Parts: sequence; structure tokens; C-alpha cells
Amino acid sequence: MAEKLISIRKLKISIPKEAQIICEKMLSDLEKSKRPILEAVKASLDNSFYNAKVGYLTPGNKKIRTELNVSSVQKLARTVFMLEILLRNLDIGSVNTKRELYYICKGLIKGDGKLKPLDFEDQAESDAIIDFIGDMLEVYREELNCFANDRGGQTYSQQLVVTETLSDGAKATIDLSTLGTAPYQPKNKPQALKLKAKKKIDFCLIVESEGTANTLQAMGFTKRNKCILMGAQGVPSNAVRGWSKLIQEELNVPLYFFGDLDAYTLQNIFRTLKAGSAASLIRNADFSAPEVRFLGVLPEDVKKYDLPHYKVKESDPSEARALKKAKDALENDPFFLDRKNKGLSDILKWLLKEKIRCEQQSFFSVDPKDPIKTEKLILEKIKHKSFV
Amino acid sequence: MSKITKSSTAEYFAKNLQQVGFSSPLKAVLTTLKEAVDNSLDACEGADILPEIEVVIKKVGSGSTKNTDLIKISVEDNGPGIDPDDLAKVFGEYLASSKFGKGQCSRGQQGIGISAATTWAQLTNAKGAFVMTKTKAMRKAVKGQVDVDIKSNTGILKNKETVDWPKKDHGVKVEFTIDGRIQLNGDGGLITYLDGTVLVNPHLTLKYKLLDNEPIKIERVSTTVPVVPESTLPHPHTFKLGEFITHATLFGKINLAKFLKTGFSRISDQSIKDFVAKGLPKALLSKSITALSQEEFKKIFQAIQNTDLMAPSTKSVLTVGEEAISKSIQRLGEVDFFSVVTRKPAICDFKPVVVEVALARFKTSQLDADDPVQLLRFANRVPLQFDKSGCAITWAIESVNWKTYGLAQPKNSLPLGPYVFAVSLVSPFIKFKNASKETIDASEELVEEIRRALMQAGQKLSRHIKKEFKEADLERKLAHIEQFGPILVEALVRITKSPATRRKKAEEGLKKLLGRDSKDAIADLEEAQSRLDMLKSKDAKKLGIDEPPQEGGSSTLEAASDNETKIEEPSETKADKKAKKKSKK
Ligand SMILES: Nc1ncnc2c1ncn2[C@@H]1O[C@H](COP(=O)(O)OP(=O)(O)OP(=O)(O)O)[C@@H](O)[C@H]1O
Ligand SMILES: [Mg+2]
Repeated sequence: MAEKLISIRKLKISIPKEAQIICEKMLSDLEKSKRPILEAVKASLDNSFYNAKVGYLTPGNKKIRTELNVSSVQKLARTVFMLEILLRNLDIGSVNTKRELYYICKGLIKGDGKLKPLDFEDQAESDAIIDFIGDMLEVYREELNCFANDRGGQTYSQQLVVTETLSDGAKATIDLSTLGTAPYQPKNKPQALKLKAKKKIDFCLIVESEGTANTLQAMGFTKRNKCILMGAQGVPSNAVRGWSKLIQEELNVPLYFFGDLDAYTLQNIFRTLKAGSAASLIRNADFSAPEVRFLGVLPEDVKKYDLPHYKVKESDPSEARALKKAKDALENDPFFLDRKNKGLSDILKWLLKEKIRCEQQSFFSVDPKDPIKTEKLILEKIKHKSFV
Repeated sequence: MSKITKSSTAEYFAKNLQQVGFSSPLKAVLTTLKEAVDNSLDACEGADILPEIEVVIKKVGSGSTKNTDLIKISVEDNGPGIDPDDLAKVFGEYLASSKFGKGQCSRGQQGIGISAATTWAQLTNAKGAFVMTKTKAMRKAVKGQVDVDIKSNTGILKNKETVDWPKKDHGVKVEFTIDGRIQLNGDGGLITYLDGTVLVNPHLTLKYKLLDNEPIKIERVSTTVPVVPESTLPHPHTFKLGEFITHATLFGKINLAKFLKTGFSRISDQSIKDFVAKGLPKALLSKSITALSQEEFKKIFQAIQNTDLMAPSTKSVLTVGEEAISKSIQRLGEVDFFSVVTRKPAICDFKPVVVEVALARFKTSQLDADDPVQLLRFANRVPLQFDKSGCAITWAIESVNWKTYGLAQPKNSLPLGPYVFAVSLVSPFIKFKNASKETIDASEELVEEIRRALMQAGQKLSRHIKKEFKEADLERKLAHIEQFGPILVEALVRITKSPATRRKKAEEGLKKLLGRDSKDAIADLEEAQSRLDMLKSKDAKKLGIDEPPQEGGSSTLEAASDNETKIEEPSETKADKKAKKKSKK
């Protein structure tokens, strides 16, 4: 997959060249007192398409057109200003996080009085410009040498070996079984990694809660099972998404996700992992693992194992919002509308109807005296194909 | 002064005593002030005198009850004065009033107010009211202390003295020293009360000194004393059975037909025939009302309710008027802009009412943009300062969709922003939710009438807000061009490594483009400005002045001439429906 990702980009012209073309067009438009226009992919649900064969959300034809006028001149000036910084980074091989770029901008603006009007009030403003540039050039943020902070994805395995190509071309090989109690932490640059299984791997389990993943590991989960165990740490970051995709592509093992039974997990966490998100339309291809299955907690588990669960408090604004979003998703989200994902939308419907939630940790209540009961239940579920 | 009649319904007084505004030390101070000032204003109006009132409130020690101060409240007016023989009655006897049950839009109605203040002073400080009075006929003033004899409901005048009152032809000065606490600002504040009183009494000159603050003098902006219209009799359809029977007790031994014709408005000989047709036993007509049984009363009452009657006359209501409010509002601070609407008198629930609304934004406002607007409510020109949540006025405001007029508004709430919303209701028969007279009962018809006034005022306000918005917009746009244009061009030139000649050309092109845009913005602003000017000159013409009343103001008599004026009804929101439902209850 790593080559594939790079090869997609090899077909295209380089980012600096593309940027040159855009700027040249803007400048010559201005010379003719014609209004320059910047176009970017519209990254929203109404421009998202889902094809079960592809497996992730892809962009439609809708574009966000920003035409120069008194209201948009600020955005355009900021875009070109940020673009210049990114191009220089690419040129000198420098890498930054979004937050660092925010401060780099602040520094430049402070040093030049003329630039003062550009100043960003908070990081959200500069982030939006960076995202706009990505959507405009249709490139990944990482390809602009802008990396998010790596979060989540701590991985344990006795079988997995990772080979990483470093920026100087040297290779590093990491055998996860040699890391002791430490997890392997994937970077959000999946194209630099190659995976190998020392021995056959039966499955990969992605656990929503990092803490629960660690508990399973501490109790010997990867010792007893030929598997990859990963903690997602809530809504999966790019690193987690790219890493899961890589595991899917390179190792060809079944992937299971284990998390809470609630609308938020299903919609935000699981859907993003499996099919990407509307906000990241242009990157879902490489940052989603369409084969991942929802192992639970399933509605049937609640009954079968008599799991403790809660009533959703509709008076709680965040819960009420999650329910409303779930309703919206059932009506508008192409992922949940597709027949292939009927099992998942059925769960959403069930949640809306029953208005309950059940946490992944409730598995620990089934037999508190057995420290590995949760592991047993997970294995039992995999064995009996109790997943969606 | 007018004749003082002593009402015999002593139970009435007993029932209201604990509910007439002395429920906390804070309210005690405000209520005492309010009763005294209301009386002064009423007295001046009755005698066709332009009122000049002086209020002094200070702390003179600590109170006898816990957590209170000893507070001296003094109110002096230039009214007709009180006949010294009446002093004991006025200040020491409940239900001694010249206004009782008259069906007039006077502030005082019951003859309870000032005696309650005397009682409170006596209860907390062992001394009643200190009074000084002088009528035109007197050469010297009379002063003394009035105490209430609570058991016999009579007043006692002590330490009576005849004194000189220099530079005073006529007037009354009252002084109460009571346990209380002082709050100046906010909903229940003394300044809020005084400001509100100033607003709806353009003919009042008010001097006040509160605690150690600088003395303040607010001059009158109108030299006409409002004429309180002739009293009107209540319309029979406004009564409930119990009230109907109580009303009858005021008339003594007269026959039913006479009672109906003299005790109510809109009952003619023809109506009495109609009552009979609707089931009123004819024989009862000549029977004395003191001899009627409960059952008979019920029959009579039902027949009346089932008969169509002419709506009451609206002649008995009084308006402050848009011009006067427009001037008066300037006295509360430097006004940014405002909008005033006086509705034509209307009938709601068979009672004549008139609604007036003033919405204003002050330059000096300390109100926060994120806080709800400051609400001033008035019933017969008396500020209402407590329990706003159940009030018809509050419901009406909440039911309007203020967003259409450019104001922020959380769902079903008062709109937000540094505005003052003043809503005044005048009617000889205002129905309050409870005896403390702080909340106006919200009937569907009344809420709707207030709502219409608010929407008219809102429309006018929105012209100011829109113009202001466009102004800011233009300013922002012009600034944008100057600031961002060169940065954009320079960056493009750097990235494309272009020569200076291209840069110059691009800069010129950019200027041309943005110039076009700002021309559009200027045109927008001009349009908003001219719409506002149109409104202002229309108002000015209607008010019979050449110039608009003042910079930024607008008011209209449109409403006064035609209540069916088209209102741009904002589409019905949930809030509207809720309010309608509420008012149905
Ligand atoms: N400052 C004053 N100058 C002249 N007359 C006064 C003054 N204050 C009170 N009076 C007379 O005394 C009467 C009694 O006043 P009081 O406040 O007790 O009753 P009210 O004003 O009629 O009704 P309410 O109880 O609603 O205030 C008034 O009706 C009025 O005739
Ligand atoms: Mg009074």
C-alpha cells in the first residue's frame, strides 16, 4: 500500500508546480482586473458519496468557490501567505504541526508591520486555511509537510514486524514482540511503513478505549492470541486510520472494533475508522479501513450477558445532540443509507428507539472474579461471528 | 382636595395588608417611595399642576431588625396640599381615598398605599409619618406626626404645629423613617423606579438625592398636565360571579334594574330587555339587590353573560403620546437611537386599554451586549419592578421574533443587547395576577395587543440597526481593501517570481475590482440611510415638527390613527405558539 500511496502522487504534477500555476493564474487575472477564483473540494456530507465496493466516503463534484471580493480578500491573502510558508517548508524539507505553523505565522506577522491585518486570532483560523489549501490542491496535509500530533494507535503484537523507511532513506526494523510492555506507536505517514507477520496472525482487535486495550494486554491477551491489539483512543486520528488501513492491506487479517454501544461511537468513531469522514473526503482512500467489523458492544450482547447499561439522558445537551446527529445520519449519511451497512444502521435505529447506552467496560461485570472474562467473551464473539 | 370617602369593607384591608409591597426590607423602601411619589403625581394631575417633586433618601442608623438599616425617605411635592383636617385620615386610615373604585386611570386606586407606609414605619421604628402640608388657602403650613391606630383603623395626628414654609404656596412633604435596605440599580432598584417614573411622566421635574450620591435634577420636557379622562363604569362582561355580587354590595338598597344601569357601562333599557329574553326573570328587576339570593344573582349573571353588549368606550384611557415619550426618553441618558409606538386605544377582554412602547439604546449604557435587554414595565404609569416572569408584557416580548429586527434572542426569552424596552399599559381596569400588583394578568387578547405594539416598534428599530450594520460593513470592507490587497499581490509576485511591472499592474487591477465592491457597499448603506430618513421625516410630519424630534429618533402616529397598520409579521415561531398557549390558560 505504501508504494501505491506514493505512486498515486507520482502521477500528479508536484505541489510546488501546481501552486505556481494557481498563483500565476491569480496574478494574471488581477492584471486584467478580473476576479480570481480559488476552488476546493467541498468537504461536507452533502458532497459525500459512498459506494459499498469502494468502502469509504468519496468526494462528489461540488466545489467551494472563493471569488475575490471585499469580503473574501482576507481569506485569499491568508491563503497565499500560508501557501508560501508551506512551499518553503517543502523546498527545504522542513516539517511542522498545525500548531507550529500557527506560531510561525504569528512570528512572521509580528516581524512585519504590513502583515498585521493577517493576524490569526486563534489556531482554528490558521487551521482552516491549511485545510483549505489541502482541499484546493487535493493533497494530504502530510504531503504539505504538515503533520498532526500522533495520538492513539498504541499497538501490541507478538507476531508483527514493522520496517520503517526514514527520511534519509535508511531502514529501521521493529519487532513488536521485543518491546516488552511498551506499545508500538504508529506515525501518520503510513506510506513509510512495511508490515510483515513472523507467524500467521489471526485477527486485529481495535479497542475504543486505550485503557481497556492496555488492560487486555496486561492480562496477557497477545500472549494467548496470535493477534494485533490496538487502542484507538476515541475518535481515530489520522495515524490510527492510516495504520489500520495498512494492516488491512498488507496483512490481510480480519479487523474487529470493540467499543461502546452508543450513537457517538457508532457514528463518529466507528464510521470514521471504517469509511472516513466528510471533513476528510480527499484522504479517506488512504485513511480508512473498510473491512473493519463492529464486534460490539452489540444490542444482543446487552441481553445475552445481562450487561449493565444506562438510560440516555435527553436533558443532557451533549447526549441530546448525539441522538439528533444519529437521526440525521440515518436520513442523510450515505454510509448509513447504504444497504451494505444495514446492520449498523439497524443498531443506530435500535439506539434511537431504546435510548440506552452500554459501555465496552460493562463486559468486566459479567464475571468479576475471572480476570480474563472480557477476553473470553471477545474470543467467543469472534468465534461465533457475533459482529456486524 | 377631593372628598375622601371611607370604604367600609374592612375585610378588604385586612386581606391586602401583608401583600401590599412590604414583604422585604428592600421592597419596603421602594414601596414607601413609590406610594408617596404616586400620590404626589396623582394629586398634581388632579389639580392641574405641573409637578415638581424632590426625593431624599439617606441612611440614618441601623435598623431594629436584623440586617437592616434605618432609612429616612422624604418626598416633597408642589401639589394642592392636604387639608390639615384630613391628615390623620389620609396617612393613618386605610381605604380613605379620593380615587376608590372610580374607574379612572389614576396611579392610586385603593386608599391603602400611604397608610401601609405609615404602618410599616410605626412597626419598625415606633413612629408613623411626618407630614407637612399647605394648601393655597393657608397662610402657614401645618406639620405633625400621624400614627395609625391599627385596631380602630383611624389615624392620630400628634405634635401638630403651625409653621412657616418659605417659598411654598402649596404642597405636601412626607417623611418616613423605616427599617429597610437600599438597592439603587437593577430590576428592584430605586434609580430604576425613578428613571421609569421620569420616562412616563414627561411633565415631571424631579430632584433626587440618594445616599451620598450627587443630587440629580431632571427637568420636565412637557408643559401639559395630562388630563386623566372621566371615570368609566366597568363593563359587565369583565366580571366573575363573585365580583358581581361584591360589586352589588357597594350600591345599597336599590332595585336590580337601577343597579344594572348605574353600576355598569353599556347597559341600556334595551339591554335589560335582552337579558330578560336570555332568561333573567322579569320579576327580579324591581327587587332590591340587598334582597337577592345567591341563586338569583347567578341567574341574573348568566343572562347578562349570554347577551351581546356593546364594547366599552375607549374614552377613559390616557396616553403619554409618542412625542412626549420621544422627548422624555432623552432624559434617561444619551440616546443612540430609539423607537416609540403609541397604539390606538383598544378593547381587550371588554376593558379599554392603550399600549405604548419605547425601545431605546443608550450611548452611556452599562448594559452588556450578552445580557437580556433592560425591561421597564408600567401599569397606569406606575413602574412594575418585581415578578416580571409571569407578566403579560414579558410574555408578549418573548413571543416576538426579535431576530427579524436585528436583535439576538435566545429561544422563548427576552432579546439580548444594551437596549431598554419600556412597555406601558394604561387602563382603568388593569387585572393583576395578585394583590402586590407587580404582574399584569396575561390574557390572550392583551398579550396580542402588546405584541402588535412591540412589532411596530421593532420594525422601526430595525431600520436603525440595519443602517448601523451597513455602516460597520462598509467600514470593514474599505479597511479590508486597504489592508489585504497589497499583501495578496506581493505574495503572488514572490511565489511566481514576477517582475515589479506585473506587480504594479496587478495592484491597479485589484483596486479597480475592490472599488466596484465598495461602491456597492456604499450604495447599500445609502439605501438603508434613506429608508431611515424617510421614516424619520414621516414621523416628524405627523408630529407636526419640521425637524425630526432629535438625532437618531423616530416615532410614528401611524398606529394611533390606524391599529390595522400592516405589520411585517415575522413567521410564527415556536415561541409565538407557546406564548399563545400560555395566554390561553
Ligand atoms: N401628596 C398628596 N397631595 C394631595 N393629596 C394626597 C397626597 N397624598 C395622598 N393624598 C390623598 O390621600 C388619599 C389617600 O392616599 P393613599 O395613597 O392612601 O390612597 P390612593 O392613592 O387613593 O390609593 P392607593 O392605595 O392605590 O395608593 C388619596 O386618594 C389622595 O386624595
Ligand atoms: Mg396612593
